[in-house]
Amino acid sequence: MATVETAPGFVRQDGKEKVTGTGRYTADLTLTGMAHVKFRYADHSHAKILKIDTAKARALPGVVAVVTQADLPDVRFGGFVQDRYLFARDVVRFEGEIVAGVAALTEDIAAEAARLIEVEYEPLPVISDYVEAMSPDAPLVHEGLADYEKDENILANGNTMAFHTIVKGDADAAMAGADVVVKSHYRSDASQGVPIEPRAVVAQWQGDKVTVWSSTQVPYAARAGVAQTLGIPEADVRIIVPLLGGGFGAKCDLHFEGQVAAIARAAHRPVRLVFSREEEFKAIAQRREGISMDFETGVTRAGELIARRATLILDKGAYCGEGGFLGQMAAMHACGPYQIGAIKIESHLNYTNNQPSGSVRAPTAPQVCWGLEQHMDEVAAAIDMDPVELRRRTLIEEGAEGPTRQVFDHVGVKDTLEKAVEMIDYGRELPEDEAIGVAIGWWPCMPASSGAYVQMNGDGSATIVTGAQENGSGAVMAMPMFVGQELGIDPDDVSVIYQDTDVAPWDMGSCGSQTTFNSGRAILAAAQEVREQLLDAAAEQLEADRGDLELTEGSARVKGSPERSVAIADLVGEIGTVHGKGSGEVLDAPEGDTGGCVGRLGNETFLAPQLITQAAHVKVDRETGVVRVLRVAAAHDSGRILNKKGADGQVFGGVVMGVGLALSEGTMLDDQGRQRNPHLLDYKLVTCSDAPQIDVEWIEYDSVGPRGSKGVGEPPQVPTAGAIANAIAKVIGRHVGELPMTPERVWLATHGNGA
Amino acid sequence: MSPSFTSASTLDDALAAVASGARPVAGGTDLVVGARQGKAPLPNDIVAIDRVEGLRALEISDAGLRLGTLVTHGDIVANADIRNRFTALADASAIVGSHATRAQGTIGGNVMNASPAMDTGGPLLCFDATVTLRSAKGERTIGLDALWTGPGKTSAAPDELLVSVDLPAPGEGTGSCYVRLEYRRQMEIAVVGATAVVVLGDGNVADARIAITALTPTIRRVPAAEKTLVGTAADADAVKAAARATAAAATPISDVRGSAEYRRAMAEVMATRAIAAALTRARGGSVPIPASPAMYGAKES
Repeated sequence: MATVETAPGFVRQDGKEKVTGTGRYTADLTLTGMAHVKFRYADHSHAKILKIDTAKARALPGVVAVVTQADLPDVRFGGFVQDRYLFARDVVRFEGEIVAGVAALTEDIAAEAARLIEVEYEPLPVISDYVEAMSPDAPLVHEGLADYEKDENILANGNTMAFHTIVKGDADAAMAGADVVVKSHYRSDASQGVPIEPRAVVAQWQGDKVTVWSSTQVPYAARAGVAQTLGIPEADVRIIVPLLGGGFGAKCDLHFEGQVAAIARAAHRPVRLVFSREEEFKAIAQRREGISMDFETGVTRAGELIARRATLILDKGAYCGEGGFLGQMAAMHACGPYQIGAIKIESHLNYTNNQPSGSVRAPTAPQVCWGLEQHMDEVAAAIDMDPVELRRRTLIEEGAEGPTRQVFDHVGVKDTLEKAVEMIDYGRELPEDEAIGVAIGWWPCMPASSGAYVQMNGDGSATIVTGAQENGSGAVMAMPMFVGQELGIDPDDVSVIYQDTDVAPWDMGSCGSQTTFNSGRAILAAAQEVREQLLDAAAEQLEADRGDLELTEGSARVKGSPERSVAIADLVGEIGTVHGKGSGEVLDAPEGDTGGCVGRLGNETFLAPQLITQAAHVKVDRETGVVRVLRVAAAHDSGRILNKKGADGQVFGGVVMGVGLALSEGTMLDDQGRQRNPHLLDYKLVTCSDAPQIDVEWIEYDSVGPRGSKGVGEPPQVPTAGAIANAIAKVIGRHVGELPMTPERVWLATHGNGA
Repeated sequence: MSPSFTSASTLDDALAAVASGARPVAGGTDLVVGARQGKAPLPNDIVAIDRVEGLRALEISDAGLRLGTLVTHGDIVANADIRNRFTALADASAIVGSHATRAQGTIGGNVMNASPAMDTGGPLLCFDATVTLRSAKGERTIGLDALWTGPGKTSAAPDELLVSVDLPAPGEGTGSCYVRLEYRRQMEIAVVGATAVVVLGDGNVADARIAITALTPTIRRVPAAEKTLVGTAADADAVKAAARATAAAATPISDVRGSAEYRRAMAEVMATRAIAAALTRARGGSVPIPASPAMYGAKES
């Protein structure tokens, strides 16, 4: 099977409206009688609430509702640990915690009313350092953790929300037999997804039913969350997502839909919440977590990795949200796609009084890969071997065992290494302030249910009805192309109904790089049902054998005899109603030997791993520590590439995000866990002018996803920071121990004080 | 009193509005952003001066350069004479904020915002710029060192409007440069900046002006560093000594943009680079405008 190139002239259906400014986002919605919502946030990072007095706020003219948790059911929410109320009830646990919500006729009145709410607190000691959070005398973020509802595989203790291990063989014994043992410590700061569209939520009740328009990546999770927290059936909750202005994972999970729906109900009118940029930094429960990493690898002089031990400590922040799995995912990335004789990884996901962490593009992977891949370069140096050669000898391949003895099918990781090295001309002479670094990462495909309908219209056009969510990646926008190919019709004649929970079957949403993998599978299955119906009808009408027929250019015709054909529109007219539904078969997670592992939440084996090598060419200004990334060569195995234009775009975007993570994007906190740079001047995103040249090559083998594909969206960010880090280390002679590798940190490392 | 926004079409209208308490706005790039960040609430009364005839003029002659208060950073960068004769000012104007900031932001607004991190401040000081402040009662001309009294503070009276910035013509043999420490190529603010204006005569430094940006409560010249350089042949040792003296004058703070220790070290690096590039230009050599990005190895754009 060859790569299916994007159809010439294929323009994604949401492209024109986004580019010309006519597209409507959630914040653009205005409903008759609509009021405006503002939240009152916590005044402390950790405090007991003694009293909330809303009288003055309610008395302010123009205020139509004031809501606190006292008005709502006693229900906590959270993905793996149910630890949070919509509005803080007894305790506030981070600076962005919502204590109350107000609706008023104008935004200014709402803001004033939020200020007028009087809250009495008893301050509690704040624990912001996620490593110190494990010390026996650390104040507890959740006193009642033991009594919370939680997933049966969550192992919680003290401030540790979840403890995980990955164990293969006897790592302690194996380590003792190594020729060389290398130890490294790395620590990453928290960072942010920073979608350009700040969050907005609009809610309107009609009788017992509520419609919520929300800038979410996961409308069905939002629906479930609203239903659970308000105590109403999911059937009474409809989530609609207008155009989404980016998410990068930060718009996963239930996010404010519950609060805004509750406020609309109390106000007896539609209400709208639109976040400022500062709220988008501080109030969301979804940032990339800080991680402390200790790696220890035992290696032979020949470059065999015989043992790996690692301890990871992750900053969960104040609440679980959907991020309960972060510790286990991080543990898999501390192994990497390498063959390692014996493994012992421990991972602690710790509560703190910081902003909660959650899925941001390949959660945990870019930071752990940044640490591990520097560690791998240190291991190579310790045995006097070129770092590319060490990887060549140790990467997984077909038949190799993963960290939990999962046996891999054909994987193209070694090809990605050779390709990236070739693309960047590794080993060539460079000026003394420039170097090339290489890093390799991986990311699993997430098996999940999905469902879709495809219906033919009377004129031979088609409509897809899908629960899939488009977050800007183009994954849903490519579906008309696949259905067009399946049915022999022009993709421009295929429309998509999506982002509305009342019309389509459940879907996981735009997360886990799963849209093509799962939603695409369902849509193709539905299209294949339609195809069968069309071919049946055409065989009868053309009096031809079904096997001799093809669907092409809007007609069914006998292969080789184009004059024996019938228009698809005519077939539809003949049959009456032509529609298909599909789900496809959800794939099982691969088998492994996970008996020795604790805290199993489903990431202990990797289905259809996507494998990535990136090589970064950087220039370091030693006097200032300023690093410029000149070029990134990216070679990826994402199975068969179904839409090259879209897939390349994911790599360009992922690498640019990776450059930001590497060099400038870090959330700085004070000792109370408050953000010091919650704005775009001092939280420094990479601009177009800073973006390097990015070259992309795809290593294509058949995989288990639709048409041989795997996921594409998250992996491009995984190894970028690691590749840049290894290049910096080559120039300055030391590894930079903290992420982001800001100019000051690079300067300190260069001049001997850092790392 | 309810807020008001008026648009002045003549200078007299603008002065009358300012006299009655309105704050002038031209490009709006500081006023609006400052209010959003909570630095200062939007003033109750605002008078837009962007349509006032005559405040947009840019005049350059043998006598020097006059910038009307509405001249934008983009206008400055685009002017070939400024690039040749007041190169440091072009270096600075070319890297202020973003493309949008440079198209919209004015020199008058920039000067009156009195930020210790403003990019054009060092070059204006080193070129001996004066500003003309006009009110309904008359006008006066003062130097920038007399204008800037602290971060965000000026000696201008509330009824005074800055109408022009004047720079005398630099002498023969002048070369100048402004560089800053920048973490990214666009949307950046100076964390450390340095300006050098040098005049060469018979191969020696006849005159030198050195200023530091974002290192003291107001942008200021460093006479001790200037003295170190004047009279020397401007060899590497002389440049280094002058840069050290420059860094010694810095009283940096520690904040999210960098530690005081790093800033002080960078003051010396930036001063070295500014002086070296100014000397190169004085000798007829080429350094791209803006000078900063090229010094970090970025491709010229």
